[in-house]
Amino acid sequence: MNWGWQYVWDYRLWFIRGFGYTILFTSVGVFFGTIIGLFLGLGQISQNKLARGFSKAYVDLFRGTPLMVQILIIHFGLLPPLFHLFGYQSTTPLISGFVALSLNSGAYVAEIFRAGILSIDKGQMEAARSLGLTRAQAMRFIILPQAFKRMIPPLGNEFIALLKDSSLLIVIAAQELTYAGQMTSKNTFAYLGPYFTVAAGYLMLTLIFSRGVSYLERKFSK
Amino acid sequence: MIQVTGLTKRYDDHEVLKDVHLSIAEKEVVCIIGPSGSGKSTLLRCLNRLEEFQSGHIMIQGEDIADPTIDINQVRTHVGMVFQHFNLFPHKTVLENITLAPIQVLKMSKEEAVAIAEKYLGKVGLLEKANAYPEDLSGGQKQRVAIARALAMQPKIMLFDEPTSALDPEMVKEVLDVMKELATEGMTMVVVTHEMGFAREVADRVVFIDQGVILEEETPAEFFLKPKHERLKSFLSKVL
Ligand SMILES: Nc1ncnc2c1ncn2[C@@H]1O[C@H](COP(=O)(O)OP(=O)(O)OP(=O)(O)O)[C@@H](O)[C@H]1O
Ligand SMILES: [Mg+2]
Repeated sequence: MNWGWQYVWDYRLWFIRGFGYTILFTSVGVFFGTIIGLFLGLGQISQNKLARGFSKAYVDLFRGTPLMVQILIIHFGLLPPLFHLFGYQSTTPLISGFVALSLNSGAYVAEIFRAGILSIDKGQMEAARSLGLTRAQAMRFIILPQAFKRMIPPLGNEFIALLKDSSLLIVIAAQELTYAGQMTSKNTFAYLGPYFTVAAGYLMLTLIFSRGVSYLERKFSK
Repeated sequence: MIQVTGLTKRYDDHEVLKDVHLSIAEKEVVCIIGPSGSGKSTLLRCLNRLEEFQSGHIMIQGEDIADPTIDINQVRTHVGMVFQHFNLFPHKTVLENITLAPIQVLKMSKEEAVAIAEKYLGKVGLLEKANAYPEDLSGGQKQRVAIARALAMQPKIMLFDEPTSALDPEMVKEVLDVMKELATEGMTMVVVTHEMGFAREVADRVVFIDQGVILEEETPAEFFLKPKHERLKSFLSKVL
């Protein structure tokens, strides 16, 4: 069997760059996904019909269609005309990747926020409101801090999924880790070495990440 | 201090309160009793608009809270509420539970709020628990903290919804004692309770509500010794 470990070494700069991009894509997705998710999650339980309708439709749309299709639509269909409108040549795989992962994880995080908030006993909101706090104050000081603790494990799962799903960005040739493996294979006709290296890269990141999540879980469980 | 007129509250087409009229004077202590599901909690929760109602008016210190343009949060600062299940904030210490609203709603400085919190914690006998978390307190202690939390807003009216129903029997007295003291000091109180002893001893007036209708409204002496309605008679025969 042609493992091709020597090619992995030859192409090491691609792997290192891909590793870095995978971390970057995931971090950006986590960051903006959390912000988008917070607003959509609050929107879903808002008393405003419009906000509720929009959030529900958004979540359904992004959870009900494959991420790979979303990436294709965003990169080839939606962003290019938008970029032209503002006088730029076109989007790049980097930018499309950021947008697609953020929008997609926003939908999943919204569900986690919604479930987290709804899991808090109704009496907490009532006690806060009976003291004269506004709904927004009650959310901020009473509901969200308690919900957030319960959200740490599902958020951790979501972000591990996002890390792995960032490999789908290969369809728009974003230069993340899987892409490095694919390019190496194409050039050298060796498969196992490059793709095992890719797999090991993801495994390392998911293991580190889930350690981090359990640490946070322990830290906030008090 | 509180005037309820023509209050009607429905859940879908289930009418829970039917044309309720009730007037409560300053410093008066009114106990509300009645069978389960009769609408006691609903009535109480309408008084600070935790429940929206379909028709009628509720005047709190001259302000009609049925008016949707009113600043309900402002009204609620004058109306404290104590719940059956305490509803303390589990992620905050006892002191933080009490100082949160004075700081955020009344815009007090932290020092001022802490001073007030300590005053009321002392009053309910739990000063040494200031830095404990709710989970480290017994049920009776939790409810006393909840009372202190409501009092720290320096309300004119206190609403209690079965404040001792979730307590082990040996803890009922410590909570009732705090409430008795409040009553003696002239707090206006509306108390939903199954504690007939408390109603008899402390209430100025006892209200019997059944199927969303106030059937009887009397001084404790009249209420317990000369009940008029058959329903009240049979209710009392079951609980006394
Ligand atoms: N959120 C709700 N939706 C629909 N019906 C409700 C709701 N809350 C209360 N009800 C109904 O309204 C009626 C009055 O309820 P309420 O809680 O005021 O009774 P209660 O007198 O406080 O009873 P208990 O002694 O059991 O606390 C009951 O029939 C109850 O089923
Ligand atoms: Mg009740």
